[in-house]
Amino acid sequence: MIANKYRQDTEPAFVLHAYPYLETSLVVETFTRNFGRIPMIAKGAKRPRSALRGLLLAFQPLHLSWAGKSELRTLHKVEWQGGQPSLQGMALICGFYLNELLVRLLRREDPHEQLFEYYQETLIALSSQQDYTPILRHFEQRMLKELGYALTLSYDVTTNKPLNAQEKYCYEIERGPKILGAGDCSRGLQLSGRTLLDMETGDYSDSITRQQSKALMRYILNHYLGDQPLHTRQLLKDLQQL
Amino acid sequence: MRAPASLEDLIESLRCLPGVGPRSAQRMAYHLLQRDHIGAHQLVKALDHALEHIKHCEKCNNFTEKAICELCCSQRRNAELLCVVEMPADLLMMEQANCYKGLYFVLMGKLSPLDGIGPKEIHLDRLLRRAKDGIVQEVVLATNFTMEGEATAHYISELLHTQEIKVTRIARGLPVGGELEHVDSGTLAQAVLERRVI
Ligand SMILES: [Zn+2]
Repeated sequence: MIANKYRQDTEPAFVLHAYPYLETSLVVETFTRNFGRIPMIAKGAKRPRSALRGLLLAFQPLHLSWAGKSELRTLHKVEWQGGQPSLQGMALICGFYLNELLVRLLRREDPHEQLFEYYQETLIALSSQQDYTPILRHFEQRMLKELGYALTLSYDVTTNKPLNAQEKYCYEIERGPKILGAGDCSRGLQLSGRTLLDMETGDYSDSITRQQSKALMRYILNHYLGDQPLHTRQLLKDLQQL
Repeated sequence: MRAPASLEDLIESLRCLPGVGPRSAQRMAYHLLQRDHIGAHQLVKALDHALEHIKHCEKCNNFTEKAICELCCSQRRNAELLCVVEMPADLLMMEQANCYKGLYFVLMGKLSPLDGIGPKEIHLDRLLRRAKDGIVQEVVLATNFTMEGEATAHYISELLHTQEIKVTRIARGLPVGGELEHVDSGTLAQAVLERRVI
């Protein structure tokens, strides 16, 4: 095969999002294993008999072939890999949440192989487990770590001492937790040492941990997401209020 | 040389149509002005009339010229069944298939989480009110089998969960007369996953 840096064949990928483009085409935001997030145009994909149509599904492992030099690559071929149950119900809504995070936070053409693997594992977890809270919290932490914003969850960043489950801490973005003591926490989020230690070990059995870890992740993610809120977060909230 | 202002205006206006870029808009404008004045006048009249008279049916949300559309008024339909579809074209397909004698609710869209189209944008509160009329016994969800259509179906089923209304989802699988050899992998995989006892 002739090596051509503008052409990639049968690359493992997921569809994160797709939206109509001109009359019969789609723009597909993809998360590829070796090249990161790449937007592609799927020409004619909206035609009733398009071969791409039934295959360009989110949350399903695919092999994609594409070419082009411009920002928007041209998708040539989609191959179904399968072997993964499709997401249903609440798991599906959680899947949309993961995709929105990735669309918003992954830079274009910035490869994250580890995150790709972890995304795939997370989808499988969503399709097979009932308790979505730990799955989402794990994913958020792993994603931030892969993007270079790893959380500090085991020691106080001012004293370097291990966290104490009984103490209250103030978590500051891009720094980490520091003991609250008599100081105020206007530049951070106040939470218990127990929550941070539970997050470190991945134990979400405690209800306060669940509550505080959700608040912490939202606080941190909002910082990186900027002004525009996550649409899927509102949808998850609406669903919970029904 | 610039086009006259009124021509530029026309081209710009035509671009509000889905899938119409500057080139197509220009082609359409030239065609209407140069080759089809009668057609253009008809278009103006039809558009004007439709804008003035077409509204959403109070019951099913489909397009109609009356407060309540003919289908919703029909005595021959089973008012205990309410079928939810995304678009008017889906309703027409259901009618063509001649397999369903109940009433409809047309969402005029679907939940599209990443595009910010949520329950409010597709008026699910109106659907809830419609389904709670005391007559509807079963809501049949016939939204598309896309991820968005599935999310929409899930949301509606949760919305109606607390009511005493049965919620069903139309089945999916191989097309009638379809051969395994020619069906796409996604459809086949789902059909195997959702296989049933016979
Ligand atoms: Zn009606």
